[in-house]
Amino acid sequence: MTYRIGVDIGGTFTDFALFDEAGGRLSVHKQLTTPDDPSRAVLDGIGTLIGSAGLRLDAVEAVSHGTTLVTNALIERKGARAGMLVTAGFRDVLDMGLERRYDVFDLRLAFPDPLIARRLRREVKERLRHDGTVIEPLDLNGTRTAVTELIERERIEALAICFLHSFTNPAHEDAARRLVEAEFPALLVSTSADIFPNAREFERWTTTTMNAYVQPMAERYLARLESGLGASGFRGRLYIMTSSGGTLEASAARHYPVRMLESGPAAGALMSAHHGRTLGLAQLLSFDMGGTTAKGALVRNGAPLKAYELEVGRVHEFKRGSGLPARIPVIDMIEIGAGGGSIAEIDSRGLIRVGPRSAGARPGPACYALGGTAATLTDANLVLGYLGAGSFLGGAMALDLPAAERAIAESVATPLGLDLLRAASGIHAIVNEDVARAFRIHASERGFDYRQCSMVAFGGSGPLHALGIAKKLKVPRVVFPMGAGVMSAFGLLVSPLGFETARTKRIALSDLSPTIMAENFAPLIAQTRGFLERAEVPSDRIAIHLKLDMRYVGQGYEIEVPLPRSDDWAALTVALPALFRTEYAKTFPLGVLDEPLEILGWKAEAVGPEPSLGERLKIEAVGRAGTATLKGRRRAYFAEAGDYVDCPVYDRYALKPGETIAGPALVEERESTVVIGPHDLVQVDAALNLIAELKG
Amino acid sequence: MAKSTETLDAIGLAIMWDRLVALTDEIVSTLVRTSFSTIVRESYDLTVVVVDAQGRLMAQGSISAPPFIGTAPLTMKHVLKRFPPETLAPGDVIITNDPWQGTGHLFDVNVVRPVFRKGRIAGFTLSITHLPDIGGVGFGASAAEIYHEGLRIPLRKIVSAGVLDESLLDLIRANVRVPEQVIGDVMANLTANEVGGRMLTEFMDEYGQDDLGTLSAAIRGQAERVTRERIRAMRPGRYTNRIEIEGIDAPITLACAVEIAGDGVTIDFTGTGACVPRGINVPYCYTNAMSLYSMKCLTSWDLPNNEGATAPIKVIAPEGCILNAQPPFPTGGRHSTGHFVSPLVFGAMKDAAPDLVQSDTGMIDILNFRGMRRDGGEFSTMWFSAGGFGAVNGHDGPNVTPGPSNMAVVPVEIWEDVTGTLIERKTLLADSAGAGEARGGLGQEVVFRNDTGHPLTVFSMANRTEFPPLGFHEGRDGARRAHMINGGPIHPKGQNVLAPGDRLTLRQPGGGGFGDPKRRKRDKIARDVAEGFVSREAALRDYSVVIADDLGEAAE
Repeated sequence: MTYRIGVDIGGTFTDFALFDEAGGRLSVHKQLTTPDDPSRAVLDGIGTLIGSAGLRLDAVEAVSHGTTLVTNALIERKGARAGMLVTAGFRDVLDMGLERRYDVFDLRLAFPDPLIARRLRREVKERLRHDGTVIEPLDLNGTRTAVTELIERERIEALAICFLHSFTNPAHEDAARRLVEAEFPALLVSTSADIFPNAREFERWTTTTMNAYVQPMAERYLARLESGLGASGFRGRLYIMTSSGGTLEASAARHYPVRMLESGPAAGALMSAHHGRTLGLAQLLSFDMGGTTAKGALVRNGAPLKAYELEVGRVHEFKRGSGLPARIPVIDMIEIGAGGGSIAEIDSRGLIRVGPRSAGARPGPACYALGGTAATLTDANLVLGYLGAGSFLGGAMALDLPAAERAIAESVATPLGLDLLRAASGIHAIVNEDVARAFRIHASERGFDYRQCSMVAFGGSGPLHALGIAKKLKVPRVVFPMGAGVMSAFGLLVSPLGFETARTKRIALSDLSPTIMAENFAPLIAQTRGFLERAEVPSDRIAIHLKLDMRYVGQGYEIEVPLPRSDDWAALTVALPALFRTEYAKTFPLGVLDEPLEILGWKAEAVGPEPSLGERLKIEAVGRAGTATLKGRRRAYFAEAGDYVDCPVYDRYALKPGETIAGPALVEERESTVVIGPHDLVQVDAALNLIAELKG
Repeated sequence: MAKSTETLDAIGLAIMWDRLVALTDEIVSTLVRTSFSTIVRESYDLTVVVVDAQGRLMAQGSISAPPFIGTAPLTMKHVLKRFPPETLAPGDVIITNDPWQGTGHLFDVNVVRPVFRKGRIAGFTLSITHLPDIGGVGFGASAAEIYHEGLRIPLRKIVSAGVLDESLLDLIRANVRVPEQVIGDVMANLTANEVGGRMLTEFMDEYGQDDLGTLSAAIRGQAERVTRERIRAMRPGRYTNRIEIEGIDAPITLACAVEIAGDGVTIDFTGTGACVPRGINVPYCYTNAMSLYSMKCLTSWDLPNNEGATAPIKVIAPEGCILNAQPPFPTGGRHSTGHFVSPLVFGAMKDAAPDLVQSDTGMIDILNFRGMRRDGGEFSTMWFSAGGFGAVNGHDGPNVTPGPSNMAVVPVEIWEDVTGTLIERKTLLADSAGAGEARGGLGQEVVFRNDTGHPLTVFSMANRTEFPPLGFHEGRDGARRAHMINGGPIHPKGQNVLAPGDRLTLRQPGGGGFGDPKRRKRDKIARDVAEGFVSREAALRDYSVVIADDLGEAAE
C-alpha cells in the first residue's frame, strides 16, 4: 500500500495531489500560498490532504515538489547578497552581455542589471588556454584575500566562482572552491563548470550567479520543509522538480537551485505528455493558460521537446533578449503574456491589444470587484457568458458582470467606437490569435508539424480558449483532462528522477575514435547516474540517454543528435555521420552538405523509472460532484452564430464515461470552464477526459 | 472551417495585421532553416517582406537588419518597372543583387515572387539575404570600381513559370568562392518565397480577402496616421547638421537639412562630400533606408514596419555625392559611411524632437583577423566590438551596445578556440562615457595577444577615432576609439601584422551624454562611482560632485 504526494506552489495557490497506488485513486486539495514562508502552506496542506484521506504521513513514500520560489526570487530580486570571483581581466563580462540589441528601433532600450553588482566581483589571477592548459596558475593567496574582503566588507552569503574555459578544465574553479570551503565553511559556493559546463562565458557565468543568488534562500526553505515534514512523521523521500521535467532528491537540488526555475510549468507539460501516452497520442501541443501567462510546449513521440536556455525576468515585456539567460536543461516552453488577468487596452496603432500587462490577482479583473477598473480577458469571458457570475471557482467567488461591462465599455469599446459585444468577443479572439501565433512560430522554428497533433488544454483559462485556438491551428483534436487547475501537481506524480548535464568540447569527427567517445561520455554518465544511485534507484532501472551537438565544421548552427542506446562505442562512432544527416534534414530540409563534421557538445541524462498512475485513474475530491449532469442554462456568445446562444451548462464532475455533448455548451469544473462551440462535439472518455474532435 | 470576412475595425485589423507580421516571421524561419551559410543563420543578416499588388510594403519580419526596412519598396518599384504585372506568370521568381536596385552592395541577394489568386497578382513576397561571397575582391572596401567587387546580377527571372534558369545558376556558381553555400542560400530564398506564397494564399482564404489591397491600405493608413501625428508633435522648422567622418585618406563631410513642415519631413543631404574611389560609397537606396530607419526610431519605433510609417518622409541626395553614389563607384562597404546617416539625422533633429533623439553612439568596430592557429590550421574571421550607446533625454545609454548596426560580439571562449589568439582583458572603460544629465554607455578596452606562434594579419575600418561620439544639449562627448599595437597607436583604417607575442589593444568609444551634467541626479552619480563607471575625479570634474569614500555620500 503506497501513497505519493505532489505539491506545486504557484503565485496564488499551492496545489496538492495525493495518489493511492493500490486503489488508483487521485485526490486533490488547494489552498492559498503563504508568500512569507511558503513551507507553511505546504505542510499545512499536506496535513489537510492526509487527514481527509484518513491517513498518516508515514504511509506516504514520496513527496514531489515544484515551486515558483526560485523564479520569483530572481524576478523580484529577493535573493541573497552574493559575491563573485572571476578571471583577472574579465570582471565586466556580466555588464557587457552579448553586445546585441533585442530591439533595433527602441533607443530607450535597457538590459537587466547583473544579479551580482560590479563592486561585489573580484578578479583573481589565473588563466587557462582554450584547450585547458594552464597559462597562469591560480593565485590562492589572492583568492583568500578577495573572499575575506567580500565577506568582511560586503557581508556576502554566497559566492559564484567563474573562470574562463573552466568547462574544459575545472581545476582552478575546483581549487578555489576547496579553499573557500575549508576556510569559509559558512559560505555557499557555486562554480560555473559544475553548474553547466558549456562554452560562452556570459551565459554560463550568469547562470552561475543565479544559482548563487538564490541558494541561501533555497537552502533555508528546503531545510524548513524537510524538518517540518520529519516532525509530522514523514519517513519517505522528498523529491524536487527541476526545469527539465526530472526530479532530484532535496539533498541534490539544494546544490542546483537554478534548476528549479519554471519547474511548475514543466510538470504541467509532463502531465500533458503523460495523458498523450495514455491516450495513444504521441504528438501534442501542451497548452496551459492561467492568470497572467499562457505556456505552450511541443510533445514529440511522447516526450516534451527540450532546450538548454531559458530567459528570466525580461525587462521589456516579453521581448526575447531582454532578460537574463539561464543555461540549464529545460522543457522548451513558449511563454505568452496572455492570461485571465491580461489587460485589454488601445495600443500605439490605435487598435486593441491584450496583455502583456496584467491586473494580477489584486486588484485583478474589474469583475472581481476588488477595486480593479482595467478591462481584462476574464471580464470579456464573463460578458461573453463563458464564465458564470455565480459559478466562478465553484461558486466561491461571485463575479460582478456590470463592473466587467463598464470596464470594457470605458477602456476599449467606447473610445474605439465598437459595441460592447464586439469589443468583448474581440478581446477573446485576439488572445486566441496571440496564442495560435506563438505556437506557429515556435513550431516553425523547430521544424515541428502540428497539423496532425492533438492539443491538451488546462490551466484556469486554457479550456475557455482551447477550441478556438485549435481551430486557428487546424489541430483536429483537443483533450481536456480532469483537474485543469491542478495539472502541475499531477505532473509531479509522474515525474521520474532525472538529471542531465551537457558539456562543451569540440572534437572533429576525423579525430574521433571509440576510445575518445567513451572517455568523453564516461564522466558525464558517472555524474548523472550518481544522482540517481544516491537516491537508491536500482542500477538496472536507470536509463542513460546520450546526445551530441554536432555541426558542419565552421558552421555556426548545431544540431542535437540523440544516440541509440548502446555500449558499442565503435558502432556508435561509425554511425555518427548518418545519424547527423537524419537529424539535420529534419530541421533543414535542403541543407545536407558533403562537408566535414565536428562535435561541439556532449550530453548525458540519467532517468529513473517513471512513477505509474495506473491504468484506470479515479480522480476524487476535485470538486463537489453535483447529482445532476445539467446544472442549468446560460447565454453565451459564439462568433459562428453571430450572437448569444442559449447553452446548457454541465457539471463536469457528474459526467459519465461515454457521454457525448454537442455544442454549443459549457462544461464547468471548479477552476475552469470548457467552452464548446456550436458545431463541436465532445466525448467523455473512460478516464473522464473530455475529448473534442474538430472537423477540417 | 467556414470562411469569414473579417471587418477592418480595431479588432479585425489588429488580428489580421499581427497575423501577417507573424506570417513573415514564419517565412524568415523557413529561410533560416533552409539556408546553408552561417551569415544567415547566426547573424540574421536578412529580411522578408510582404507587399501588395502595387508593390507597397505592408508587413516585414520582426527580426531584420535595420537598413532592410527601407530598401524593399524601392526594389519593388524597379521590379514592377522591369516586369509589369502582365509580364508575370504564376511560378515566376525574380532576382537581383544590383546595388542600385537592391540594398546598396552586391552581397545582398533580393528575391521577389508574385502571389497569384484568381488569375491576378494579389501581392508579392520579397526576401533578402547576405550571401557568403559574391566573387571580386571579397568583403571590404579595397575596390576602386564596382567591377572589382564581384558578380552583378541585373533584375531577371531566375524561375519562369516554375522552370528554374539553370544557366543563371551556373553563372553564379562559376563566379563565387564558396559555390555550394552561395547556391544553397539562393535556393533557400526560392523555397522561402514559395512557402510564403502558400501561406499568404491560406491567409487570404482564412480571412476572406480577395487580395491584399484592402488590408494593405488599412495597415498603411493606420501607421501613417500615427506617424504623421507624431511628426506634428515635433517643433516645425528647417534644421541642419554637418559632421565629419574618417575617410580613407581625408575626412568626409556629411551634411543634411531636415525640414519638418506640418505632418511631413524632408531630409536633404545636399552639401555632402563627393564619392571616393574605395568601396565606402552609398547608393541612394541605402541612404534612403538609413534615413527611414532613423526616422522610424523617432516616430514609429513601436509599430510594425510598413510603408505607411515611412510615407510622410522624403529623402533627397544629390547625384554624385557619397550618399548618392553612381556606378561605377564601388559600394562594398557602403554601411561604414551609411551608418552615419543616423547620428547625422538625430543631430539635426535634436531641437525638433529633444525627447526622442539619441546622442551619438560609439558604433561598432569591425575587424578581420587572418592567420594560422598553433596547430597550423588557417582561419579568417570577424571581430565585432561595440562602443557605448548614446544617451536619450532622461535615459542612460547602455554600456557596450551596438548601433545602428547590430552585430553581436563573439564570446571570448569561442574566439580563443577558433583563432588560438589570447584575449588578455576585456573591461569597461571608466569615464569613457559622455557625461550628461543622462550619461552615455561606457566603451570598453579589449587586449589581444598573438599567441598563435605565427604572424597575424588584422584589417580594420575603424571610425570615431578623430571624431568622437557627440553629446547633445550640453551633454559631453564620449571618448574616442583607438587602436594600438604594443602600446603604440596605429592607423585605424588599414592592415597591420601582429608578430607572435604582439599585443593589439582596441579602445571602444563611450556614447555621448544628453543634457547638462550638472543636472544629473546625485544618487545616479553616487551609484556610477560606487560601481566604478565614473571615477571620483571625473565626478568632480564633469558633475561638480564630490563622492566621499563611504558609498553614496555626496556633497558639493
